[in-house]
Amino acid sequence: MSTVLECRKLAKHYGEGDLAEPVLREVTLHVQRGEACVLIGPSGSGKTTLLSILGCLLTPSGGELHIAGERVNFGSLRALGELRRTRLGFVFQHAQLLPFLSVEENLRVVGRNAGLERVALNGRINMLMQRLGLEAMRGKKPDKLSGGQRQRVAIARAMLHEPSILLADEPTAALDWHNGENVVDMLIAQAREARAALIVVTHDTRLLPKFDRVLSIADGCVKETPTLKPHAN
Amino acid sequence: MWRIISFISGLAVIVVLLFRYRITMRTTIDLTSKVAVIGLWRAGMQNLTALSRDALTLAFKMLWHNQPRLLLTVLGVGVAFFLAAAQFGLLVGWTNTNSALIRHANVDLWVMAEQTPAFDYGTAIPRQRIHQALSVPGVEWAEGLFMGWEIWQRGDGRRVNVELVGLDKSNVGGPWAMRDGKLGCVHVAHQVIVDELYLGPLGVKQVGENFEMIGERTVVGGISQGVRTFTASPFIFTSIEQAIRIDKRYHAEEITYALVRCAPGADVAAVQQEMRKRIAHVEVLTSNEFAVRSAKYWMLETGVGITVVITAVLGLGVGVVITSQTLFAITQDHLPNYATLLALGFRRSSLVVMVLVQSLTLGVCGVVAGSALFFSAVLASARTPIPLETTPLVYAGLVAVSLLSCLVASVMSLRSIFKIDPVSVFRL
Repeated sequence: MSTVLECRKLAKHYGEGDLAEPVLREVTLHVQRGEACVLIGPSGSGKTTLLSILGCLLTPSGGELHIAGERVNFGSLRALGELRRTRLGFVFQHAQLLPFLSVEENLRVVGRNAGLERVALNGRINMLMQRLGLEAMRGKKPDKLSGGQRQRVAIARAMLHEPSILLADEPTAALDWHNGENVVDMLIAQAREARAALIVVTHDTRLLPKFDRVLSIADGCVKETPTLKPHAN
Repeated sequence: MWRIISFISGLAVIVVLLFRYRITMRTTIDLTSKVAVIGLWRAGMQNLTALSRDALTLAFKMLWHNQPRLLLTVLGVGVAFFLAAAQFGLLVGWTNTNSALIRHANVDLWVMAEQTPAFDYGTAIPRQRIHQALSVPGVEWAEGLFMGWEIWQRGDGRRVNVELVGLDKSNVGGPWAMRDGKLGCVHVAHQVIVDELYLGPLGVKQVGENFEMIGERTVVGGISQGVRTFTASPFIFTSIEQAIRIDKRYHAEEITYALVRCAPGADVAAVQQEMRKRIAHVEVLTSNEFAVRSAKYWMLETGVGITVVITAVLGLGVGVVITSQTLFAITQDHLPNYATLLALGFRRSSLVVMVLVQSLTLGVCGVVAGSALFFSAVLASARTPIPLETTPLVYAGLVAVSLLSCLVASVMSLRSIFKIDPVSVFRL
């Protein structure tokens, strides 16, 4: 497997000078294609900060981030936007679907934004809808869907442009156990199939056995924790 | 950016063309112009990239998402536009009213006493000025016109101030449309013409009724159409001779204005200059100059115009506030969605386009709603003493200012867009 995500001594602190509060200290991490990782840690430990940096949404105070072998230029907003559009997929805690668009429109807008041509986009939408069981919901608005259904749409949206890296922030937090487990299973399955690196932030330790790697964050450092199951690959 | 500019320009052209159809009230559709509009629209849409089209779609759907608010905003902007348009409509209507007799006289030059501020306040000049005017090279025709303030006594004894206009042989300066009777009746003894708009105030029911003006018997010989007065004192038309007999302040050989028509091909400006040199103690103005002077007097020197303009500006201001508040509320409501779009890699410029399009959409819908109200009011007031009127230039200016105001109203929303941090999507 090839490394698709690489952090070298990533650091982040908020504030300046004596008031600077370090959140991440020299985080070094390698994630392979198709690898499913879970990031755990207590509240305030820096999970979301790390996810934001990996998602090219936040500029680190130090260190380097490489995506698919290329160093991320945090100085260029255009380049960061391009990376988010084409290389990264996001699944947010509350799905964050656009409430004024139907399920299909939510997917279509994001797909076009990623540069997919009409035919390819139609194919991807149909395929993902079928796989994620969303076909009956094409024309529905997000407020007509259950929490689990919304997260499935969010997964479809994140996978639409076949990203190299899939980042999910507490995707099960708003769901009951059964739905949450289903959503995580789908996330992992989709990421594996697309050979995308998956990083999921969660507080739910019951989900940990489903992942290839468990990363825990504490005191600004990321440590590998032994998995509770044999490596999936 | 050029795409945004071309789109906005396209919209402006379409609004102007739509306006053209509306204002001229054409019943036949100019197919060429219609094709041009469709062509412009298609060209504009082809220029837009898929992303810009998505930004437009998102903008419209975001607005449509909350229909009651959209409806209320459009109504608000529409009423504000109507308020401004109605005020300017009054201004245009009044300006047309107080220069109507001058414009309809269809003469080239007006000779009058010095410092005459407006048509309604002319003073006596010798009738000889007509002959002096006729002696100027390039003059083909000249006649006199009387204008004086008199008192009309109704059948019930009530008295009404009126503006008496005395016509010369050719009846130039008289009513341009008659409902009953003929214009020439003013030369029949005691006969006058009154306008249908003022039959009530004058107590007139029909042709042939008798009244009194300054002790002189008058008979209604005809009823005109559309001769409004700005001063609330109706115009009464008769012959110069009868007007002087009623007025009693003028001598038989006096008039208020000498009306002059130049020979075909003559240089009116040169004739005017020559007339100024040859005739002492008078002013010689072209019809346009006199109309502008009359309008200026009533609109500026009496303060009426300023009041109306201030109200119109207030109307536009109300529109800006309504649009601004609503747009800001819509933007605030959708900040999480904007943050999501940014996090998913949408360009901030696309979000700016969305806000501007929403702003313009509210403006255009408001203008359409306001225009419907305004043109209904124009139709309703067409046969009243106080008409609402407009000109293509005034209306296009109002539309442009309204749309510009809507863009200005989006400033606060744009500030919010520029402040959005896409990281916030993780904290939602």
